[in-house]
Amino acid sequence: MDYSSISERISLKVSAKGHQADRTKIEAKLRRLMEEFGVPPQEAERTVLNELARDLSIPDLLPGTAGTAGEERQLRQLTSGDWATIEAKVVSLSSSPSAAISQTGILADPTGAMRFVVWAKANAPRLSAGSWYRFESVVVDEYKGTPNLKIHSGTTIKEISRETPLIPEMTPLAELTPGIGSVRGKFIQEWEVSHDRMLQSGLLGDESGTVKFVIWKEEGKERLNPGTVYSVYYALVDEYQGRISLNITTATIVPEEGDIPVSGGEGEFAGALVHIAPGSGLIKRCPVEGCNRVLSRQNYCPVHEIQPGFLYDLRIKGWLDNGKETREILVQREVTEQLTGISINDAKELAENNPLGMDEVFLRMRERILGRYFTCRGREIDQRILVSACAFQHFEAGEIPTLLNRAGGAF
Amino acid sequence: MAAPERPSFARREGTFEREPARRVFAGELRETRIHFREGDDEKSPTYVLLPTGERCNRVFLIGTLTEKKKQGEQNMFYRARVVDPTGTFFIMAGSYQPEAMQQIARIEPPAFVAVAGKPNVYETPDGATLISVRCESVTPVEKDTRDRWVLDCALSTLDRIDNMGTTKYGERARQEYHSDPAVFRKMVFEALSQLSL
Repeated sequence: MDYSSISERISLKVSAKGHQADRTKIEAKLRRLMEEFGVPPQEAERTVLNELARDLSIPDLLPGTAGTAGEERQLRQLTSGDWATIEAKVVSLSSSPSAAISQTGILADPTGAMRFVVWAKANAPRLSAGSWYRFESVVVDEYKGTPNLKIHSGTTIKEISRETPLIPEMTPLAELTPGIGSVRGKFIQEWEVSHDRMLQSGLLGDESGTVKFVIWKEEGKERLNPGTVYSVYYALVDEYQGRISLNITTATIVPEEGDIPVSGGEGEFAGALVHIAPGSGLIKRCPVEGCNRVLSRQNYCPVHEIQPGFLYDLRIKGWLDNGKETREILVQREVTEQLTGISINDAKELAENNPLGMDEVFLRMRERILGRYFTCRGREIDQRILVSACAFQHFEAGEIPTLLNRAGGAF
Repeated sequence: MAAPERPSFARREGTFEREPARRVFAGELRETRIHFREGDDEKSPTYVLLPTGERCNRVFLIGTLTEKKKQGEQNMFYRARVVDPTGTFFIMAGSYQPEAMQQIARIEPPAFVAVAGKPNVYETPDGATLISVRCESVTPVEKDTRDRWVLDCALSTLDRIDNMGTTKYGERARQEYHSDPAVFRKMVFEALSQLSL
């Protein structure tokens, strides 16, 4: 364990207040705390600093020392449990989720950004988006695993004028951690919304990876256009069941010119097609620009209602299985045509001239591909592959000798 | 200091993960009789314990459907026999598996079929155990696909045998079945030998 960097930090703080500190003593204390008592380094540092502050009567050596507003800090330095004074800009406000909270949103300074909450009981002045404030004595705690600033009745708030433009640092999608993040990504896939209050959801991609995003319905919110590159400033980064997702409802979203390369996420999987899901075969899509949702049998779109002018499409949804793992595969029209040997025109004809209609297409496709072996390539998200290329796997007599050797090795 | 590790439960818990379909020869499935539920919930999945040491909730098999029989009046269902190089699988499909039942109805034996389904262990009144596969789908396939499956199943079975000493289910299979790996290696060897003829 390296005690010298911690002790140096402590002695610097002490000497900044005009006192002398004995570094060997500090190190001895740190060593004792950490080695004998197993105290984590951060806590040990705090303990030693606290002790020195008391001994030397330096009141404001530590943030959170009683009677002070906390030293002036920058957002990046704050961790749960800190009391501090900060100067920051309100970069977004969201609708308050509860009567106990008067305002909530995101504060940013040049070093970072953090969610904040103003308690109704704090009697604080209304903050307005885009303004800078000095907050004396705010508390940092943890909400859903990420640091969160609490503005309470003891916090003093002063509006200040600052011209410094804030340029948030962009984070590659694969490196996002829960909290606040700014990203530049391409809207590569739109998903059907899973909730009434959801305006849009889908996938953003950049060179490092992909991430799910959601926009909730709120006044003035607009849908994004698939295929466009966006800069998204101050999005809420959540983690749910180990997966990162972005809530960009209150983020500042700027469409960008041009295109960016989007990461592989490219995967390959080989196995038997053990299941073909309903909704495979010939399907009808909503013709409304930008919608493209699959219509029900009654030509009903969940958003645009009855659409007699539907567009036909072909696809296969199913599961590839190698005996150890499974992947859901989603096969688009071209590859579906190639695998099943049924073109979209053949399919339309079959559906129109057959008593079973669209089911007939499903049955014929199933006959040709279910239970067969395939190698599929495509963009892989979670356990799902959007198949861009797929080929039948055949019997190879050349594999027999190796297997025979393995099986016969024991006799 | 190292970055804090994510708690292990955060990985996939709660998300739906489809049970893989194990590749098992009839010669091994015939020996299977241990079945158990993983978890305390009524909806927790049930498994059979394969003698080569793997839990198994679903199987994928390809063989020759040699015989089919319609049974029952009100609750009609099909039973059928599917033969691979090592023995016979007993498969069935009832009104809860309408898709598979309709598929079987259309097949004229003998025919190569690919079957996905769930294995079930039954005990007869005289104490014998029977295992049959409740089908999710039964699809006619070509000989090429059947041969591909024999290789696939041989590989999976050999992998399980080789890992028996290192896995939880391998250990359990040893205790429950007193499995002799040599018996199953021989079974695989014979299945492969039939292919090369």
